Amino acid sequence: MSARVEELRRARPRDGFLRVSCALIAVAMLGAWVFGGFDFGDTFSERRADNFARFLHDIRPFPLQGREWDFGIAWEWATDLLARRGFDAIVGTLAIAVLSVVFAAVSGALLAVLAARTLATAEPLSVAAMRGGGWRAAGWNALSAGVRLSLIVMRSMPEYVLAFLFLAMLGPNAWPLVLALAIHNAGILGRLYAETIENADPSAPRALRGIGAGRRQIAAVALWPAALSRGLLYAFYRWETCVREATVLGMLGVVSLGYWIADARNREHYDDLVLLIGLGVVLVLAGDLVSAWVRRAVR
Amino acid sequence: MAREGAAARPAPLGVRGQVLLALLLAGVWAFWQLGLSWGDLVPSEGGRAIAGEFLVRAFSPALSSEAEFVPPDAPPLLLQAWRAVGATLVFAAAAMSLSIVFGLALGFFASTAWWSCTFPAGSWIARTLYVVARTVVALMRSVHELLWALLFLIAFGLSDLVAVFALTIPYAGTLAKIYSELIDEAPRDSARALHAAGASGVAVFCIGLVPRALPDMAAYTFYRFECAIRASAVLGFFGYETVGLYIKQSFSSANYGEVWTYLYALLVVVLVFDVWSGRLRKRLLA
Repeated sequence: MSARVEELRRARPRDGFLRVSCALIAVAMLGAWVFGGFDFGDTFSERRADNFARFLHDIRPFPLQGREWDFGIAWEWATDLLARRGFDAIVGTLAIAVLSVVFAAVSGALLAVLAARTLATAEPLSVAAMRGGGWRAAGWNALSAGVRLSLIVMRSMPEYVLAFLFLAMLGPNAWPLVLALAIHNAGILGRLYAETIENADPSAPRALRGIGAGRRQIAAVALWPAALSRGLLYAFYRWETCVREATVLGMLGVVSLGYWIADARNREHYDDLVLLIGLGVVLVLAGDLVSAWVRRAVR
Repeated sequence: MAREGAAARPAPLGVRGQVLLALLLAGVWAFWQLGLSWGDLVPSEGGRAIAGEFLVRAFSPALSSEAEFVPPDAPPLLLQAWRAVGATLVFAAAAMSLSIVFGLALGFFASTAWWSCTFPAGSWIARTLYVVARTVVALMRSVHELLWALLFLIAFGLSDLVAVFALTIPYAGTLAKIYSELIDEAPRDSARALHAAGASGVAVFCIGLVPRALPDMAAYTFYRFECAIRASAVLGFFGYETVGLYIKQSFSSANYGEVWTYLYALLVVVLVFDVWSGRLRKRLLA
């Protein structure tokens, strides 16, 4: 029995690349702790404990500092702050998230057609094209490889860095945030949409090709409609992330929830800060719910 | 007869079409709500000068410091960039190691698969644990890592270890959510066999369920690692010594060549990771 188990164990499929990758990651994680220079003594020092105690004192609602806890006063303070800042902040954050995901999905869908290995070749959707040579084939390959590379570059830049750079050039309106989120997410959605198109059932597009349809016609009539369901699914997944990110990007100085959070920090109104972060939690959870609901309807 | 034919025709807009239309209309509303105009996409005079100077330097990133005053003990720029990338990776790797541990532990309680074997259906213990785990996971996830970092910065002051915790909380929550979903979707056949043979809930979970979901879990973990690198780079904007700090500093002092050096350094790391995790994904899910 155990000899048989041993035999089976030896015969299991093995993948060198996988093993090396997992080993590298494990070593990196261990190495980070050993050689990362983390100062454990300082983190749990008395100074930090004092700092934390002061923080706990500061997050008590301002009108209640130095007196008994009273829910009535706390409620009044919270509703006052939400009325002054909360509504505009939430609407602004949502609008940024929606607009950037719409831009990202539209440009992602357009770029996906150029990135899909099945369509962006000299002879779309045919097996012969894979072997084909000549300048035309090379040109198509270069174009589609170029689009794929730009998609990677687009998604590899953190939204925060992009927004920071755009803000300096475009000034303090909502465009820098929208552009940053749209570019990053177009990179992600473009890749996902291209994979969807590549894995789609090729019979309808092939039939269209057979009766002489061009690439644009194939995409418009066969590929996009077939990918719509998944495309919307992915877009709503990304929208959830966009809501989260839009909250934070406001800290760079544009009116979303993050702006008022950064503002509360600069004034050292930590009670306001914690309440606004709590508002962000509600917003994100509500966004997740809406997205889950729409995704179920679309599926 | 014609009436019947008309009734059989599908509605002009199905659910998907309606959602698509609603999304586009929401986009129009958002555009109006934000008070945007296409004209604002063209930078003003000052913005155009910065944009021009900055973009030109994309082709000539700095190889040595561009600052007018360089302290004598400052490391050369390329060494500095190397260290910044190293610090970025250290934060990401440390945070991911904690996230995987906590993600697995929380994912265990947040999945329905394990307790349905151990406890009779509808047991209040199982239900309470499940609801508590789900709520904790949702709360961890719903505060962005930068907001955790900001909160911790105010509460404890600048500390590398605390920054790692700030990254860990939302990442562990996300991993726990995805792990629990993947485990719940994994085939249950071996789990049922183990359960029938008398294995405990924990054993069923570890031997019968997790291995079935492991390829998907590993692929997702690699993707999150890539996200952690980006997040750790951005932590620099809050004063930690990752790439973001130097991007911010060099940009504020208008040393645009240096900015591009750091941007390219970050880009290379993320690109390598993106391609690497893409390859792994293909092999894991083949």
